[in-house]
Amino acid sequence: MAIVQTKNLSKVYNPDTVPVHALRDVSISIEKGEFTSIVGPSGSGKTTLLNMLGGLDKPSSGSVWVNGKEITSMKESDLIDFRLYNIGFVFQHYNLIPVFTAHENVSFIMLLQNRSKKEIKERADELLEEVGLGDRKNARPVEMSGGQQQRVAVARALASEPKFILADEPTANLDSTSAMNLLDIMSRMNREQNVTFVFSTHDQRVIDRARRVITMVDGAIHKDEYQNVEETKTG
Amino acid sequence: MGYAMKTYLKLAWRNIWRNKRRTMITISAIVFAVMIAIIMQSVNRGSYEVMIDRMVSFNTGYVQIQDYRYKEESSLDNSFRYDDELREKVLNSDSRIDHIAPRIETFMLAANHMSTRGSIVFGKNPEKEKQFNDIENYLTEGRLFEMNEESAVIARGLANRLQLSVSDTLVLIGQGRFGMSASGLFEIVGILDHPVRQLNDNGVFMALDTAQYLLSADGYITGLIIAPRQERQTTAVASSLTDDLDGMELAVYTWPELLPELLELMEMDLATPRLLTFVLYVVIGFGFLGTILTMTLERMKEFGILLSVGMQRLKLAMVLFIEMLFISILGVVIGMAAAWLILVLIDPIVLTGDAAQAVIDMGYDPIIPMSFAADQFYRQGLFVFLIAVAVFIFPLLKISRLNILDAARA
Ligand SMILES: Nc1ncnc2c1ncn2[C@@H]1O[C@H](COP(=O)(O)OP(=O)(O)OP(=O)(O)O)[C@@H](O)[C@H]1O
Ligand SMILES: [Mg+2]
Repeated sequence: MAIVQTKNLSKVYNPDTVPVHALRDVSISIEKGEFTSIVGPSGSGKTTLLNMLGGLDKPSSGSVWVNGKEITSMKESDLIDFRLYNIGFVFQHYNLIPVFTAHENVSFIMLLQNRSKKEIKERADELLEEVGLGDRKNARPVEMSGGQQQRVAVARALASEPKFILADEPTANLDSTSAMNLLDIMSRMNREQNVTFVFSTHDQRVIDRARRVITMVDGAIHKDEYQNVEETKTG
Repeated sequence: MGYAMKTYLKLAWRNIWRNKRRTMITISAIVFAVMIAIIMQSVNRGSYEVMIDRMVSFNTGYVQIQDYRYKEESSLDNSFRYDDELREKVLNSDSRIDHIAPRIETFMLAANHMSTRGSIVFGKNPEKEKQFNDIENYLTEGRLFEMNEESAVIARGLANRLQLSVSDTLVLIGQGRFGMSASGLFEIVGILDHPVRQLNDNGVFMALDTAQYLLSADGYITGLIIAPRQERQTTAVASSLTDDLDGMELAVYTWPELLPELLELMEMDLATPRLLTFVLYVVIGFGFLGTILTMTLERMKEFGILLSVGMQRLKLAMVLFIEMLFISILGVVIGMAAAWLILVLIDPIVLTGDAAQAVIDMGYDPIIPMSFAADQFYRQGLFVFLIAVAVFIFPLLKISRLNILDAARA
């Protein structure tokens, strides 16, 4: 069964004034363990699609299924809880709570899930270790580089043990070393722990690391192909 | 406290210090308002508390039993019989009663050999009265009367008007119970600077039995004054007495019922500081609103992300509310402490010069004591809390209407 699936998804912004067809009849299906990048020119609908997959936006028509559940008709508070337990998010920027340390940021999402204090602490330690920030646990976002902040965001997304993680241009604000480093972490999590990632990007080197590449043009799926990836390790 | 609550508190606490200067300004404004409000009320109430305290301890008592008609018509005809049976009944009525004293009181003409003045004559039991107050400390000349003695103590004001002094003879002329004529000659044994101004003008004090005899009222009194062990037991004691004296044509009053004019006066005098306080708080309220609105608006993006990752709007609102509470509590506590400190430092204000003379002429001491009544303090806390709740409506609306995507894009 697909982890996330859309059926004939369309989105029209401003239908009454100047209609913008951001998504046209998009049907995709993503399986557990996939490492998928969504690519395409600016304005092609990548962000819109990711927002739909994450239940952050409502389609004009069509449906979104996550783990066998149709989410577009859910009521807001249920949807918030649904996201908490099923979907991880890494945004382009402003991901973290500025007054919380890396460790507290990762812990917070598990706290929202009402996990025990002991479990939260151990898991946050472990995840920060895994993203290479074992020594930056007590740093606040302002004390970290953009790359480090994004790694905390990845750790946070993993912390809730979601069905899949959505990342909209997670490397857009990073220099190439940091970007590759983040990608390394993401693809390692994917290989070793079978975590499903769906991310959008403009960066060709990031695209090269994805095993499945969905190309969008003008709100529609233009290409959807699998590619071989050589597992390299950078810095 | 749970781990989750601790985390929310930590989050809120750190959030308020994200903009230190703004938070400090907001807290300072609250501190200022609370401080001014408390000091203003304290100064006002202080002088009234002294007056009330005097009136209660030197005049009406905390609780008083009278004939049920006496309040309407304060005549000796409306006095009541006071015997051992009634005394026992009253004393056994409530264990919180500390002591009681019978009194008779009536209007008479007081005279020297050539002129007369209106006066209020009190018959008291000096031993019993001692438990209520330290009136002998206000004697400026002579001594207090004793039971069974044909003597009187008169107030300084009356003594001056009638030009009487110790060992002179006072003439009293009036009516006793049921129209019996009452008059007598009394040796003045002492002169009293009575702390209650009105009584200092016209008070005459003598032994209870002497007065009863003079007024053809043997065994009768006009009031039985009662002191509970503690002031706050006043109402409770009064209500047990009311229950126990049911059907005896007696009425039980507490001091606010006996001194309604004084309370009214106090309320009137408190109206101005209350209005000022209100205006102050309106201003503070808008300042608070500005702070909390910017605190909300500049964090919309962050809120959008929190909603995205799975934090419910209600929890978000709760954190924001805790932030407001922190600011309010800091403001209130510091404001109270500052007010208390200032009050301790200035207490009591001793007036000098013309101001002092003006106050003395009105019959008061030229000293304004501060009131430290607790309710003045916690009431300000309550006001600030209510303001915080009212102001919170706006960020609450913002959060409830926040659109995740708009917030994240902003
Ligand atoms: N809230 C909105 N109101 C109106 N039009 C919108 C809105 N959001 C997106 N659009 C339009 O929808 C289309 C798709 O936008 P989207 O943000 O999904 O593109 P994108 O592929 O993510 O672009 P980019 O690579 O620049 O991030 C664009 O034409 C955009 O202008
Ligand atoms: Mg985009």
